[in-house]
Amino acid sequence: MYRALKNFFTSIKVAIVLLIILIAASILGTLIPQGRSAQEYLVRYGQIGGLFQKLQFTRLYQSVWYIAILALFSLNIIICTLVRLSPKLHRAFRPKCDLDPTSVQVLKVKDRIKMAQQPAWAAQAIKAELGRHHYRVREHTAEKKHCFLARKRILGIFGSDVVHLGLLIILAGGIISGLTGVRGSLTLSENQTLPVPEAGFSVRLDKFITDLYPDGSVKDWKSELTIIEGNKPVLQKSVEVNHPLSYKGFVFYQSGYGSDWENPELQVWLKKKNDPGYLKTIWLRVGQPTAVEGEDLVLTATRFLPDFVLDEKNQPSTRSLELNNPAVLIQGERYGAEVFSGWIFAKFPDFAQMHQAQEGEFKPELKDAKAQPYSVLQTAKDPGVSLIWVGCAVLMLGLFLAFYWPTREIRLVLEESQGKTEISAGGISAKSREVFQSEFDGIMSALRKTK
Amino acid sequence: MTESTIFTIAFILYIGSAFFYLAYLYSKRENLAKTGSAIALFGLLLHTLALILRTVESGHAPFTNMYESLSFLAWATVFAYLVIEWKYKVRKPGAYLLLIVVALMALASSPLMPKNATPLVPALQSYWLWLHVSVTLLGEAFFAIAFITSLMYLRAEAREKKGQAPKTGLTAERLDSISYRAISVGFPLFTLGGLVFGMVWAYKAWGTYWSWDPKEVWSLITWFAFALYLHTRIVMGWKGRRSAAIAIFGFLAALFTYFGVNYLLAGLHSYA
Repeated sequence: MYRALKNFFTSIKVAIVLLIILIAASILGTLIPQGRSAQEYLVRYGQIGGLFQKLQFTRLYQSVWYIAILALFSLNIIICTLVRLSPKLHRAFRPKCDLDPTSVQVLKVKDRIKMAQQPAWAAQAIKAELGRHHYRVREHTAEKKHCFLARKRILGIFGSDVVHLGLLIILAGGIISGLTGVRGSLTLSENQTLPVPEAGFSVRLDKFITDLYPDGSVKDWKSELTIIEGNKPVLQKSVEVNHPLSYKGFVFYQSGYGSDWENPELQVWLKKKNDPGYLKTIWLRVGQPTAVEGEDLVLTATRFLPDFVLDEKNQPSTRSLELNNPAVLIQGERYGAEVFSGWIFAKFPDFAQMHQAQEGEFKPELKDAKAQPYSVLQTAKDPGVSLIWVGCAVLMLGLFLAFYWPTREIRLVLEESQGKTEISAGGISAKSREVFQSEFDGIMSALRKTK
Repeated sequence: MTESTIFTIAFILYIGSAFFYLAYLYSKRENLAKTGSAIALFGLLLHTLALILRTVESGHAPFTNMYESLSFLAWATVFAYLVIEWKYKVRKPGAYLLLIVVALMALASSPLMPKNATPLVPALQSYWLWLHVSVTLLGEAFFAIAFITSLMYLRAEAREKKGQAPKTGLTAERLDSISYRAISVGFPLFTLGGLVFGMVWAYKAWGTYWSWDPKEVWSLITWFAFALYLHTRIVMGWKGRRSAAIAIFGFLAALFTYFGVNYLLAGLHSYA
């Protein structure tokens, strides 16, 4: 049982299969829209929609089975890396120096040299030449044989392990983010203060600014914020898109904006049809009856829509939160009796269809509508994030080691025969054998020329 | 001269270069390929000038809409190819790669792509735009090279099986090794630009480094595909046809990340 498990997790084939499953599952998740309502899936897929939900295809990346595959994959990475680590550590820190010249001659890059000098002299020449090429040389002598083990960029052999370590750190960061991260959103109008959920401090919006380009498109949104802790302002900073504010582990992002059309200020002109010189300007707020000076008339705006449209049920509603077709449902009363009521439109002042008590006495027109701008801030507390950045740095370091720090190793065995030295040399390079071969040949020919 | 004139001249030079490389493919005369690569280099220099002018005129990085990013991807592909050609002294892939470049440039110049430099929306105003897009596209350009050399491998391998010797000395084995080299450059670049820089920027702009947005998932799929390529090759010793097939799939996934996601799947990356 233990062996079977160990074989399962140390098998690279299992890793490959898991990787292929992860690819297939991830593709599936981009084909099915994620996190929509049950209704929408029913409309889109019919009966199969229900099955998709049962199999968690509709929240695939958070599903038990996707996370289980990720977990198996991580376990496989950990075990594969550990199993391969110990021989690598031996090779890096406790290398063996084989005194048998045939062990060198089986290597793909190899050479044999005869030197007229004593081995002790040859050894000096070898060390000098290898040092010139930045090799670190280890020496071992026994039975009148000398062995040299010269290596450079030995850390390169750990490249893949460092990559795996980086990935595991990123995954750990992801787990911490998922389990302990807090996200929320705050909608603030100017001068409003709201407590940040679970934070123990509050945020006040001092000013909200929309910067425009000369052509009228939006350049930037800025929220000037004050952090208030224990009734005292502790920090003032302006938050822009791409420039969040951090305080005590909470980060505030500019994520949206809008105008508070629930509570607008409306400018209405009141005209009289039989008196062309008559004009009164009245400022109204929705739901607040306002008396018109000089008349026994009270005006009430009962409803305001910034972008008036009749919906499928022929009911007034708003298409957007932009001032595209502002309209107000207005009512005029005299001593509690309705004088007129109906929708009036800023863009179509003559379109109004009024219920009039006395035919055509008053003609109200909507001239202007103003609303307080509000700012939407995302708040996030994500304790996993620093691990993510550490993991990314480790990952990149590992990729660099794996691809651009190729370990090279040259082994030489020296034997004495009749006062002369016979050298067997061979080399191993993780990458770019052509380049290594030319370096190796250069070293060998330099050794031949030494006198 | 304006940026669009220089862009057009570079485009014409790439067409000329593709023509010479194709002629080389049929006639096997080395000089034709050398002319092709000289023209491509000249085109690349002019294209660089066009990109710089565009940056100066608009005041932001030249990859904020589809026209700009296609143009940059074409630039990166020529650049990556010339590096590989210079380093590994192979000229045959030039014909196919320059055809891809011509296709990218044609797509960029098509009337479907709005060309005017529009002011940057707030979300794109960040130096991460430079880092994220340029490094990612450069990585993808190297995947494009591996894609072409892998396709060429499949053809060369089929011919060698029939006992036909390669005519230009470019063996299937060498093509396989060049694919691997191109991926060795592309993979770290793609990891850094696409995933790491992407996560940093997402965290700065949206407050979350990963949100399973379709474009994010597809770049992860691309990354998994090339991870598969490297593991099967290095640990299991796969070479040749199976490796080529994975490299081709990986590039197609990268292409889908770049193009398909924008047009077929909705998500946060709705800018370009």
